[in-house]
Amino acid sequence: MRALVTWITLSVVLSVPRIASSQDLLVPMDNSQTDHLKAYGIVYWALERTVEVDWLLNYRGGSFLMPSSGEVISELRVRGVSYESLSASAAARTMAEVQSEDANTSVVRLEKPPEIAVYAPDQTLPWDDAVLLALTYAEVPYEMIYDEEVLAGDLGRYDWLHLHHEDFTGQYGKFFNYRSTAWYIEQQREAELAARRAGFRKVPDMKAAVAEEIKAYVGEGGFLFAMCSGTDTFDIALAASGTDIVPAEYDNDPIDPDALSNLDFSKTLAFENFRPIFNAREYEHSNIDSGPPPPQLRNPAVDYFTLFEFSAKYDPVPTMLTQNHVATIKGFIGQTTNFRKSVIKPNVVILAEAPGRDEVRYLNGTYGQGTFTFYGGHDPEDYQHFVGEEPTDLSLHKHSPGYRLILNNILFPAAKKKKQKT
Amino acid sequence: MRHVLIFIFLLACPTHSITAQDVDNSEVERFQLAESLLQAGQFDRAIPMLKELLASSPGTHVFYERLRQAYEEVKRYDEAIALVEDQMSRASSPEVFLVEKGRLQFLAGMETNARATWDSVLARQPASPSVYLMVYRSLLQVRLFDIAIEVLEKGRRKIGNADLFQTDLAQLYALTSRLDKAVEEYLGLLEGNPGQLSFVKSRLGPYMTDSSSIQSAVPPVESAVARDPLNRSYRELLSMLYVELERYEDAYQVVQAIDRLEKEEGAMLFSFAQTAADGGAWNVAVNAFEEVLRRYPSSPASPDALRGLGVMQEMWATELDERMKPDSSRIHYSAALATYERFMIDYPQHTHVPDVLTRMGRLQQDVLGDLESAERILSEVTARYPGTRAADEAAFSLGKLAIMTDRLTDARIRFTRLVTRLRTGDLADASRLELAQLHFYQGQFDAAVALAEAMQENSFSDVSNDAIGLKVLINESKGPDSLNTALRRFARAELERRQRNTDHAVMTLNFLIDEFGDHPIIDNARFLRAGLLADLGQTDDAMQAYLEIPLIHPMSFFGDRSLFQAAVLARDHVGDPDRAIELFERLLTDYPRSLLTSDARMAIRVLRGEQV
Repeated sequence: MRALVTWITLSVVLSVPRIASSQDLLVPMDNSQTDHLKAYGIVYWALERTVEVDWLLNYRGGSFLMPSSGEVISELRVRGVSYESLSASAAARTMAEVQSEDANTSVVRLEKPPEIAVYAPDQTLPWDDAVLLALTYAEVPYEMIYDEEVLAGDLGRYDWLHLHHEDFTGQYGKFFNYRSTAWYIEQQREAELAARRAGFRKVPDMKAAVAEEIKAYVGEGGFLFAMCSGTDTFDIALAASGTDIVPAEYDNDPIDPDALSNLDFSKTLAFENFRPIFNAREYEHSNIDSGPPPPQLRNPAVDYFTLFEFSAKYDPVPTMLTQNHVATIKGFIGQTTNFRKSVIKPNVVILAEAPGRDEVRYLNGTYGQGTFTFYGGHDPEDYQHFVGEEPTDLSLHKHSPGYRLILNNILFPAAKKKKQKT
Repeated sequence: MRHVLIFIFLLACPTHSITAQDVDNSEVERFQLAESLLQAGQFDRAIPMLKELLASSPGTHVFYERLRQAYEEVKRYDEAIALVEDQMSRASSPEVFLVEKGRLQFLAGMETNARATWDSVLARQPASPSVYLMVYRSLLQVRLFDIAIEVLEKGRRKIGNADLFQTDLAQLYALTSRLDKAVEEYLGLLEGNPGQLSFVKSRLGPYMTDSSSIQSAVPPVESAVARDPLNRSYRELLSMLYVELERYEDAYQVVQAIDRLEKEEGAMLFSFAQTAADGGAWNVAVNAFEEVLRRYPSSPASPDALRGLGVMQEMWATELDERMKPDSSRIHYSAALATYERFMIDYPQHTHVPDVLTRMGRLQQDVLGDLESAERILSEVTARYPGTRAADEAAFSLGKLAIMTDRLTDARIRFTRLVTRLRTGDLADASRLELAQLHFYQGQFDAAVALAEAMQENSFSDVSNDAIGLKVLINESKGPDSLNTALRRFARAELERRQRNTDHAVMTLNFLIDEFGDHPIIDNARFLRAGLLADLGQTDDAMQAYLEIPLIHPMSFFGDRSLFQAAVLARDHVGDPDRAIELFERLLTDYPRSLLTSDARMAIRVLRGEQV
């Protein structure tokens, strides 16, 4: 990952920007944009057609600049993404402005559409996945993979992997109250069969092995993005690998009496010194999650978090991940909502936090050659998403700043020149 | 107290040869302390105490039970197994301990040993159903469903009774996604007790999640029906599976048989017909309704079936959008009307009569255009059934009919009476809107606005939104003279359109456009005129009329709508997809903030042949 950061830094500071063509198109990402989310899909679409796109960090909300063509303009119109035609001289002036030493702006060249994998079961579960919704709405192609593919070593085919409301501890999301429903029974049955097929006696053992595979993928240069319980359960599973932290209600045998002392925090990516919750009926995995806001703030009107501002020229990675047209984003609750600051490893970069509380909403870090980004909460446009609720219609939230943070992540790997897996 | 009760229970338990004298007071106190330690999670302190207690009173089952649990809690499986073996050596019938040992071996990761232990239990008493159940429950605890199935199936074979363990096996098969086998077990249950059908349906319900598994359950039930055609529960189960698979024709045949065999007099068929209609299986529903009528003309289900058939024909017609088709193609609307007429002949005194008459009147008025018949029928409802919901709806329809036949005073009286009598509710609001529109048609604009304003409270209802639209139209279109001549002409054209006098409406609008070319209402007039030309089948003129609007009134509210309608005409009536795409794209370019952009984008993609 250090190599990646170095490369991006060099490309930001030293590279000669794309020579402005006879006419360029600026896709503004400030408040003038008609559909922020589809704009990411257009960039992906352009990259698929070998059109190079410049990401103008911190310039008008993180705008995109690309060569003009009839095909691109038609697609922009059809997808409802607003754009501005720039003459060669105007484009050059814009580039000069963005590269000026006086402004906290910079240019990142996007070259290659990342191969995207979403880690999710085939089974339809009664909740939505914010990343799937975002990718589908933005029309960004992806493939679904799950335990079998991960354990078979398929991760190497992808640049970007997404985890959402997943439970790597093997406790089926701790949905104990739903244990008689058809979807829970099927989920448990499928997981048990998969574990047996993969040679594991118990589901938690298989999930821990999957987490370790994913960690190895990151170490080899992969990009991991996780939301909701896909964040904390991932680290819990890594720390608890080899010990039993799962109550008998989920794996038919009790937790290891030495489970706490057996936790190995050197194995985790983002969190340390946390304490798993062993109560099978408590809908929480550990004290990593500080839970929803206090009752007086548990209100969509007053619950929000703020993005940190980074140096676009010297911290391009966190800058890319925090591109937005607003600095304050409304909060939303998930099984994992906010990360307790005291359990975050010191080398992790905090990208957004809830003001006045020791809680982090969005973080990024590196491991080996790769990088991971964890984003708390379930659905940025559904304050509290309950089991069985209809998925959010993103056509009603085209400017969602919370969803923009997800989509920043999928373009992040596009900035990489080529795979640097060792 | 709880522990004393446990002891009492244990004393009453014949399998444990302990006596009250085995436990003294100090032991009870120590046991209570050990229990407290267990509850506090202090297993390391509790275990030695329990070991001591068991050593001093080896026959006390509860000491053994707690010690085994404590070992399990701290995963000291080897010691737990040794404890079980020790107890086993004292017991006269060791099966229960062997089963326990097998489970502990499994938890300890010794799967082969565990299976051998369970097998050894079965080998000891191969003809005892309770032993198979003991082993099965132990396997269930560790979720070894497949092995549990093997055990129960083996038990059946060994004991020679194929009816044993039916519900247990059925549940196991369902859990392992073998719905066919689960159904076979439930069929066995129903064979002896058909009254268990509701239980079976409720048990199967959660597992009927995909069509392939439901499909797999069909053949065994079909075989059962063939084997025992008089078992109603088999047939009902089969019809349920067919309906789940949307095999309505097959389900119909099954229901026919049930209805006939069980002398249901059409009740079962009628219920099924409604299910089929709700599922959009129109032909099957028609057949089912008609069979009720043919076979059981004097049964209570018959009038319901006849009315249901008419309602279903209306639903079918709506799905086919028959209202937009020429009269000769309105097959299902005609069928609905014929069905209602038949109802009136066959059941003239039935409680459904007011509803059926109202439906007939509406069909005549709104679809078939026979206003005379509509008025006669609807008047009959209001006269014969005053005070009923059907009569109110008929009165409302009569008001609309009066507008269509240019009897505006009559219409006003009918709507006013409805508003006065009902005051609140959908029908009262709709009547208020009609009154406002009547004022509008007659040039009484202030009165129309006053009524429309009174209706704006609930902006979520269509009626309120229409009222807001009317108010805005009037307020923005007054002048230039004190008589509001332009608005009057427009209102006249609207009335003519409503009265289906389309040619006159176009002429009125032509005069309006010629005389008041700069008036704010002219874009409305041009848009209305274009739509009327399209209704008249003058597609080229309609396209031209639509395309003029964004050119002449580029800032108009109707600019984007006109382009959209022109594109739709190009696509659907002219058959020119390239032109349609061009017009949709023009809408996106010229009106990027239009509410129609998402529809236009979708239309472009469909026309481009993309998978949307």
